Amino acid sequence: MLDPSLGSGAWDLGFLRRRVLGSILVLSVILASGAFAAEVIPPKPAGYFNDYANVVPKEKALAFNEKLAQFERETSNQVVVAVFPKMESDSDVFDYTYRVKEQWGVGQKGTNNGAVLFVFVQDRKMFLQVGYGLEGVLPDITARDITEHVVKPHFKTGDYAAGLEAGINAIIQATRGEYKGSGQTVLEKRGPASGGGSGALTFIIILFVALMLVRLGRKRGGYGYTRSGGPFVASGWGGGLGGGSSSSSGGGFSGFGGGGGGGGGGGAGSSW
Amino acid sequence: MLLALLFSFTGCGTYNRLVTLEQTVNKKWADVQSVYQRRADLIPNLVSTVSGAANFEKSTLTEVTNARASVGQVKLDPSKAPTDAAELEKFQQAQGQLSTALSRLLVVSENYPQLRATEAFQNLQAQLEGTENRISVERNNFNTAVQEYNTALARFPTNMLNKMFGFQPRPFFNAAPGAEKAPEVKFDFNKPPAPPAPPAVAPVPTATP
Repeated sequence: MLDPSLGSGAWDLGFLRRRVLGSILVLSVILASGAFAAEVIPPKPAGYFNDYANVVPKEKALAFNEKLAQFERETSNQVVVAVFPKMESDSDVFDYTYRVKEQWGVGQKGTNNGAVLFVFVQDRKMFLQVGYGLEGVLPDITARDITEHVVKPHFKTGDYAAGLEAGINAIIQATRGEYKGSGQTVLEKRGPASGGGSGALTFIIILFVALMLVRLGRKRGGYGYTRSGGPFVASGWGGGLGGGSSSSSGGGFSGFGGGGGGGGGGGAGSSW
Repeated sequence: MLLALLFSFTGCGTYNRLVTLEQTVNKKWADVQSVYQRRADLIPNLVSTVSGAANFEKSTLTEVTNARASVGQVKLDPSKAPTDAAELEKFQQAQGQLSTALSRLLVVSENYPQLRATEAFQNLQAQLEGTENRISVERNNFNTAVQEYNTALARFPTNMLNKMFGFQPRPFFNAAPGAEKAPEVKFDFNKPPAPPAPPAVAPVPTATP
């Protein structure tokens, strides 16, 4: 009935060694510039809902993204979903996703109210990482309940969109009411200031950087985050550029800006 | 004269920096202690839940209870990180034994599907897993803080001052000393009893209600 293979590696007490080894490896990868890829910490995602594995129809993905962006406007909670083809790490799923979430800084600084649902399609694993600030409303038991009993049944039948939708709804339901939002996402707050007067120039610079990133992504040979993000990347930047108002109007895309929140190891996962 | 003045200036700065770093180390140590405490607090509940299951293997339970007791005996000051490496080693060993005992108990529990199906057990399991995850995070944070502090201590000119002010380098958690390395068992009920469960349990796989 219950199938708790999640977080499993944490019981393996060699974790510390592996983790240290992992960081050494990551460091050498940086130094050797990808000579041997031990672990890839993906860059901060462009949106709230990121389907790098292309398992969710585009319209649905956009709708989920807007739902999560709206949730941040209302509650300031940052809930991010990231679906990857596979885990690019030898660590256990908790360990790896914890590092990724910390790197992305999901959740507001100070309240640390972020949560990320990681899904690795080929590994058939998922983990819901929960920041410090949401541990009260989303304790491990609830997190486990969501991955195990809300999301997993859909994944088992191969319906990723339905599983993720149910998961998103459950997370939203659990975490609403804990904090109050400002009506804007982090990116929207930041938008007008950085966009400033020279919108065109910023756009050109961003386009240039994006192009470079795409090139880099191709060169590296891994799955290109920039590419597979597809329309998200392109319109994501647009949303950021346009600042608050334009991004929420029909068909637009709300970009994810991160917030600098952290966590202490809350959450749970499942495999299916 | 000028040199002495300069020296006292930098000395002041480094002194403050060391104090800050030392406080961080102590803070992280307190975090480590609290997650270990959190785990210890779960155990009475776990024991009572598990012992409620019919015919549950007594030896694994006793092991957990004993390990829990010895953890309680290695009490270190939660507000101040240990300065003695042997002290930390002892603490780590006791905690490692508890980890081993716990993972063994959870592996054995695989033979009791009815126990595993109860909500109480499932909740405990989620909490235990979460606690292990937090332990790993906090230990890591502690080690990072100690490393930073120790590095600062060893650096010139701090290394000349630290004796004067009584700063001592701190030991950190070892990657895998004896007890901590022992459990090969992974907490994974997904697969059928891959790590062959203790032979003693074999007779009663179908737990009676």
